Amino acid sequence: MDAKDILGLPKNQLPIPQEKKSRPPKEPQRKPDGISREVYALTGGLAPLMPSVDVSQLKRRPPSDEKVTWQWLPFTNSARKDDLQLFHWVRVVNGVPPTGDYAFAKYNKSANIIKYTDEEYEKYLTDPAWTKEETDQLFDLCERFDLRFIVIADRFPSSRTVEELKDRYYSVSRALLSARAPPADITGHPLVKEPYNISQEVERKRALSMVLSQTKQQERKDTEVLAEAKRITESRMAAKGPEESELPAVANIGPDNSQRAITGDAVTPSTAMPSSAIAASSTLMADNASTLASLRMLRVYLRTYALDQMVQAASASAGLRTIKRVEQTLQELGVNLKPKVPTKAVCAEHLELRKEILTLLNLQKQLQYKEAEGTSFQDSPYSETPGTPKRAPRGDQDRPFMPDPLGFGGDRFGKRDQKRKAPGRTSEAAQSPSQSKRPRKMKASDI
Amino acid sequence: MSARKQGDGQPEDGGATAGKRLKIAKFSEDPEKKGLSRRLKDAEISLPIVYGTIAFYLGRKASESQSHKWTVYVRGATNEDLSAVIKRVVFQLHPSFNNPTRVMEAPPFELSECGWGEFEIAISLFFHPDVCDKQLDLYHHLKLYPEDESGPQSTKKPVVVESYDEIVFPDPSEAFYARVQNNPAVIVPRMPAGFNISAPVAPENTSERERGDTKDHPLSQWFMNFSEADELLKLAAARQQVQAHIVKLRRQLSVMDGMPQLSKPAPAYE
Repeated sequence: MDAKDILGLPKNQLPIPQEKKSRPPKEPQRKPDGISREVYALTGGLAPLMPSVDVSQLKRRPPSDEKVTWQWLPFTNSARKDDLQLFHWVRVVNGVPPTGDYAFAKYNKSANIIKYTDEEYEKYLTDPAWTKEETDQLFDLCERFDLRFIVIADRFPSSRTVEELKDRYYSVSRALLSARAPPADITGHPLVKEPYNISQEVERKRALSMVLSQTKQQERKDTEVLAEAKRITESRMAAKGPEESELPAVANIGPDNSQRAITGDAVTPSTAMPSSAIAASSTLMADNASTLASLRMLRVYLRTYALDQMVQAASASAGLRTIKRVEQTLQELGVNLKPKVPTKAVCAEHLELRKEILTLLNLQKQLQYKEAEGTSFQDSPYSETPGTPKRAPRGDQDRPFMPDPLGFGGDRFGKRDQKRKAPGRTSEAAQSPSQSKRPRKMKASDI
Repeated sequence: MSARKQGDGQPEDGGATAGKRLKIAKFSEDPEKKGLSRRLKDAEISLPIVYGTIAFYLGRKASESQSHKWTVYVRGATNEDLSAVIKRVVFQLHPSFNNPTRVMEAPPFELSECGWGEFEIAISLFFHPDVCDKQLDLYHHLKLYPEDESGPQSTKKPVVVESYDEIVFPDPSEAFYARVQNNPAVIVPRMPAGFNISAPVAPENTSERERGDTKDHPLSQWFMNFSEADELLKLAAARQQVQAHIVKLRRQLSVMDGMPQLSKPAPAYE
């Protein structure tokens, strides 16, 4: 009320808000009679709102002067074309059966199909691709099936696509409309305002089906390409200036522009592959973008230098130990730490390999931790030193999987396993320190 | 051997290049300068080179101070002429040499000397103005003595140490691209269809061209072969193995997640 004074609004403007205000204080205190509190609460009752349900109706009983019986009576349905008579239960009040049509007859609606005469056909509706007979058939089916074109296409005697049928139907209807009525009247009609565009529809459906049928791999690639595009734009924002344009290949493939892009995707799969390969390679590390940007700042650089920078960026998160282990793994795999022939492709592969080895080592560490948690028996005397073989379960499994290049490592695994498993736990305690020394000794001489 | 990129701290160069850069940045009607100012974004031109040394033991003709004859050089990886890109190469030798700064203005970019000691040679590459205004420095350790010290050195078989590398020019100028788009020594990016820059008509100096490449170089029999195919194969094989291993580990991890209560390593592993 004071607020209204301040605002200068007239008081007592609406009676209803007044009622509302007086009601809520009452409402929570008393519940309406006639129904239990819980039931009333279901209707959203006890909260101080205007009740939307007429509470008094809820427990009303029929007036006792009415006599109600239920009778099994025949009925007809005006929506049916035959005179079928069926039976059903009817609520009869005081001996008077209800009047009126079958209650559900009003729902029998059908679509308004325009009918044309032969003259009209000759005058306005002829089309080189359609015979009169076909058009008649089409319209007949449309009437029967209420413009459900999927069904109509299925039933159509000659094979026409859904889009063709739709196009013919809508263009005929439009022509008839504009012929029969003066142009001014029908400009608001949806058929005239937004005519059916068959080529657009065909294209749209094709694009949709392509998106729907994308394999998981393609989805992945698309997201990677998108991510790469985003990264490129971001790095270029950072590196150069506000106005940058995306790589032309990437712009074609962005699935956001679904139609255009997906047709582009289909038409140029070859360009999609290299860019998605590039995308896949640099998706992992965010540092890559900044390294690339800084490399671009140099007017000239050596590819080995670039590779070094990227390797550093990739291993930025890893400690010195991990880096050493990566290098050791590379050696075991027979790969040069610095490629002898550093072409663009070789450098990319090398970088990818390093990243994958990092992933591998991380996974091994995870597995190690999981096992350590799982086993209550702590094998701390032989706890891992970097570069030594992993615990027994994986050791066993390592051998079959990487026999040749990790032959050196495999042997180590094998020997350690035998020593660990055969004699029993207690004797291992004595043996394993020397055991763990041996692998390191072998390592030293190897280098 | 390591190759280091020149940092930003070369004052004379900085001054000179700053002047050049200003010229490039200013918009002028001169078509040549326009070509310099327009650059191909997101493209790179790379020049594969091989640089190194070949050293022969002089045998009977050797003296205390001159036991070996060696040559240091920079050549195209496919032995093509590099002079379209490289204007000049400067070899910085050990101070004990006369005039230790040797400048090669024309291809083949090489230098032969006699000596007895091994040292690090600094090789500086200078490019044409439309290519790059910064120099690029490489370092190479001159090796005279072979790995295995068994027996006397042969005068017939030299000690060859070569390094392959690629010089990358990011965002090259259009003029540069136009000039080298058909050059066999240079790796040029594939441009989208319809992208045409006409190559400037340069007077063909065939006699000089023939000398520029190293295909018939007297030392070419000792040149090493660098094949990226081998390396790629090995890398691909290695990646496959690592990936397979990763898959196994991931599977193990997911199995582990399903069985948290293991008091001992499962007997199945044994």
